[in-house]
Amino acid sequence: MFRGASFGIYALFGIIAVATSALCVHTVDKQLTSEYEENGTQIAAVIASSSEDVLLNRDLSTLQALIDQYMTIRAIKYVYLVDEKGEMLVHTFVPEVPSAIRHSDMTRTLTVRRNLAGIGAVMEVGAPILGGLAGSVHLGMDSSMVGLKIKAAVGQQIYLISIIFILSIALSALLLRRAARPLQDLEQCIVNLRKAPSPEQAESTNQLATLASRRDEIGALARAAWALVHKSNGSDERSPSEQG
Amino acid sequence: MNRSDWMQTLSRLITRCRKQATVLGSIAIGSLLINAVSAQTVAAPDAIRIGMSAPFTGPSRNLGSELYLGATAYFESVNNAGGVNGRRIELIAYDDQYQPDRASQNTLRLLHQDHVFALFSYVGTPTTSRVLPLLEKFKNEHVYLFFPFTGAQPLRNPPYDHVTVNLRASYREETAGLVNHLLDTGHRRIAVFYQADAYGRDGWAGIRDALENKNSKMVGEATYKRNSHFTDSFDTQVAILERSTPDAIICIASYAAAAGFIRDARRAKFTGPIANVSFAGLSSVIELLQQAGKEDGRDYTAGLITSTVVPPFDDDRIPAVHEYRELMQRRSHAMLDAPLAADYKRFALGSVSLEGFLNAKLLVAILKQLGKDPKRADIPTALSGLSGLDLGIDVPLSFHDSNQGQHAVYYDTYQNGVTPITDWTRWRQ
Repeated sequence: MFRGASFGIYALFGIIAVATSALCVHTVDKQLTSEYEENGTQIAAVIASSSEDVLLNRDLSTLQALIDQYMTIRAIKYVYLVDEKGEMLVHTFVPEVPSAIRHSDMTRTLTVRRNLAGIGAVMEVGAPILGGLAGSVHLGMDSSMVGLKIKAAVGQQIYLISIIFILSIALSALLLRRAARPLQDLEQCIVNLRKAPSPEQAESTNQLATLASRRDEIGALARAAWALVHKSNGSDERSPSEQG
Repeated sequence: MNRSDWMQTLSRLITRCRKQATVLGSIAIGSLLINAVSAQTVAAPDAIRIGMSAPFTGPSRNLGSELYLGATAYFESVNNAGGVNGRRIELIAYDDQYQPDRASQNTLRLLHQDHVFALFSYVGTPTTSRVLPLLEKFKNEHVYLFFPFTGAQPLRNPPYDHVTVNLRASYREETAGLVNHLLDTGHRRIAVFYQADAYGRDGWAGIRDALENKNSKMVGEATYKRNSHFTDSFDTQVAILERSTPDAIICIASYAAAAGFIRDARRAKFTGPIANVSFAGLSSVIELLQQAGKEDGRDYTAGLITSTVVPPFDDDRIPAVHEYRELMQRRSHAMLDAPLAADYKRFALGSVSLEGFLNAKLLVAILKQLGKDPKRADIPTALSGLSGLDLGIDVPLSFHDSNQGQHAVYYDTYQNGVTPITDWTRWRQ
């Protein structure tokens, strides 16, 4: 019974740990992704506004130099600018523009999740230039960086829950052991009292009398056992504490 | 005798000594007159200090080194002959490894610490593009960048066309020439291999526009990272371009990447012409390809075309080339080589050092125009006074319509040596 109860408790702890971690992953992922997307969109908007003049009055070389500077930001995997017709003006791809991007509608500035060969998982954000009249800027933000942050946050959470889990198991095992011991003693007493008279039986009688003096459920069980044993012997069914 | 008189007497004495040294043919004294990288921060009163930032280490070091060697060959001869209006030229050169941030730092150092009179022969588009806003900041001090080794548009278009002075033709002119010649010789499927930065994009845009002018389009394109090495593999780029089955490829690359790409393209059995622009430096490309050819037991130097912005460096009939060849042989090698890497093996002659030489020659002409006490603010007037000047290459200069002195583009190939292309019929498809 106690083994079953222990397993149940442990399973419950496990479920709590998994559920908390899952909730944590979900929350952190949602928050970081949204923060990441927002930051990326802001950078794209900055590039879009700073490229307006360059796009209208300067050359592609200057525009390329402008976007190249953003490649020093670790989270940015690529940048590209297209004109209002979706034709690529400048980009940072090596060795070529991935076909998934080439074949997409590059005039749209919606956030897209991509998994590109040689680049990895990215969240692509965009911003229109002059409200889309002069084209748009697109930024590939490294999704693995969000993943790393989630891993770090969840790792810490799991570490904490694991410690609580182990401590809880140790404590519950101790408490169950303390609760089970008088019952095991009672069982032993009953077994001894049903045997032929012996020094052990006398000792068990004394032990049962001690247990029957308790004011808890163990005491009630001991008194019931005393009555059953002495009824079968034809002696006083009352335990010493009841007698006196 | 007051301080000013004393300085003038000293200056005259130095000038006289220098003249005597020249007459005696002493090269050692001449070489002492040019300080390569100097710890000094204040120019001597009888010197005009010029600043240069270029790659002297890294995979593009040949460009900076050769340009420097060509320029110093001329500066040395001028200094040996008494300098410009009695003032010697000091060239301070710093290594930027073809990195934009370093070029920017070097420029600040040259302007703030070394107080140079002008900036000279910077190398590369991404590097000079980063420096241009800095020059705009120094606009009121009339700081000019003379003759950068790049044909990119940002140095020729507003708002920076007033702070830069170009001698060479632009990449637009080079790429348009290459495209037109390739189309004329029946190459209809042109693909582009280019550096993924401002330089590559400038060349890419030039090729795109030139093709559009002929109602054509590039059939394929592939990029590589700046400062790639010759030892890197370019198989991926070759495979990408092969998909579009080109019959000619134009590279907008530095020499190491261009040579690496040519090697891998030839290994992949691409037999069409591969063209480069002047920035690649044909001598450096050939040197690397010959090394690889020896190891592989094959010839990688066939079918190459390079556009250059200087006349053939071995044509002794051209007066400036004759002078260049003579001075390159005569030049000393002591202190002039300070910014060069210790293991750098110079080329005897080449189009890059010839360009450095012509750059130096024009700078000296400008400084002469500025008189004994040169002022930066007078530079535009001095430039306009030089219109029609021929540096000895049979091309009159003009700075009236733009900040670019000349527009001539030449074409070379390799056939037992760098050879000018005069007849395009052999390139016909």
